Amino acid sequence: MWQVIKSVLAAFFGVQKERQRRRDFEQGRPGHFILVGLVAAAVLVLLVVLLARLAAS
Amino acid sequence: MPRRLAWLSGAGGFALSPQVLANGWNMPVGVTDLSREIHSLHMTIFWICVVIGVVVFGVMFYSLFRYRRSRQPQAANFHEHTTVEVIWTTLPLLILVAMAVPATATLKNMYDTGDAELDVMVTGQQWRWRYDYLGEEVAFTSSLSTPRAQVRGEEARGETYLLDVDNPLVLPVGRKVRFLFTSDDVIHSWWVPELAVKQDTVPGFVNENWVRINEPGIYRGQCAELCGIDHGFMPIVVQAMAPDEFDAWLAERRDEAAQEALGVDRDWGHEELMTRGEEVYAAICASCHQPEGQGAPPTFPALAGNPRLQEDLGWQLDTVINGVSGTAMPAFRNTLNPVELAAVITYTRNAWGNATGDVVQPARVAERLAR
Repeated sequence: MWQVIKSVLAAFFGVQKERQRRRDFEQGRPGHFILVGLVAAAVLVLLVVLLARLAAS
Repeated sequence: MPRRLAWLSGAGGFALSPQVLANGWNMPVGVTDLSREIHSLHMTIFWICVVIGVVVFGVMFYSLFRYRRSRQPQAANFHEHTTVEVIWTTLPLLILVAMAVPATATLKNMYDTGDAELDVMVTGQQWRWRYDYLGEEVAFTSSLSTPRAQVRGEEARGETYLLDVDNPLVLPVGRKVRFLFTSDDVIHSWWVPELAVKQDTVPGFVNENWVRINEPGIYRGQCAELCGIDHGFMPIVVQAMAPDEFDAWLAERRDEAAQEALGVDRDWGHEELMTRGEEVYAAICASCHQPEGQGAPPTFPALAGNPRLQEDLGWQLDTVINGVSGTAMPAFRNTLNPVELAAVITYTRNAWGNATGDVVQPARVAERLAR
């Protein structure tokens, strides 16, 4: 699970180690990445909204 | 090699020095605190971009030169470098955040139109501006006053060619003035660089902006949204004066407006209506119907020798007051007062060989407006 989260965060950042990538493609299940990706996207949106609220107050 | 790089960046630095930038190539510093803020933000971000450009192109050209084929026949063969990738992702992120923080602060300041001491409604019209001092009973239109002969090239162009108006927008120095922008016809844009205001005027919408001018003076601007044939002929002139002078000016304009309102009820003579009508015609009508009333058919019909105009006063009243939908003729019921309407109608019915002899009284127009 932790590996999946790390890989999704790396994908959000845009940089991933070749070793990790290979392991994800050999052992990972697509459903996990999609689910964690959706959650992470929601968290990102929430963070941006909070940041905008903070800046506007 | 480093010496050559230093020379190159030195030459670049001179070409972009403040003296060169201030010489008409850059945005003006302006005369409000906010315009100074915007200018310094603009310069900060400009220099960040210059540094990034110098570094990126410096590394690129250095690599092209240093690792050229004659010196490095064996190409290095490697793939991915996580540390370098993390650095070149993080660095731009930090730079963008560093630019966003002051930019957001300035934007917040720009949008804060609260606590204004004076409200001015700015209405764009094809092709002039209308200024309404809300709650002060003062309103007027501001039209191009550069002589037509200069436009036609029959006279030498003045220094403020196409940047002169008959009635400038007068504002007090040191007071917060809120602008409400809208339009009667198409989208215009009210742009005065020295005030750092450039705001679209959109029919059916009200946009806001504000200024607090620091220095008295004349500030000029232009319409910045292509709005039709005379887009380049609707300049903006702002005259900023000391608060007590401004108060005196406003009181004077208010008295004039009150006088004008009284003038509706009295009987006007042919001559005074013609004189007044000629002024109104030149400021408001001539840009479309042309100075001699010859028009520019088919879009702008001729008024001189127009049979319907001469025969049918009721039709002309209706046309001028309510406009003609589907054509370029706007309604003037809110732009001109009854005296101005009566004067310009009288003028068009008796100028350029139109010899109806009619004298249209302001009272008649007022009665028509009330209908």
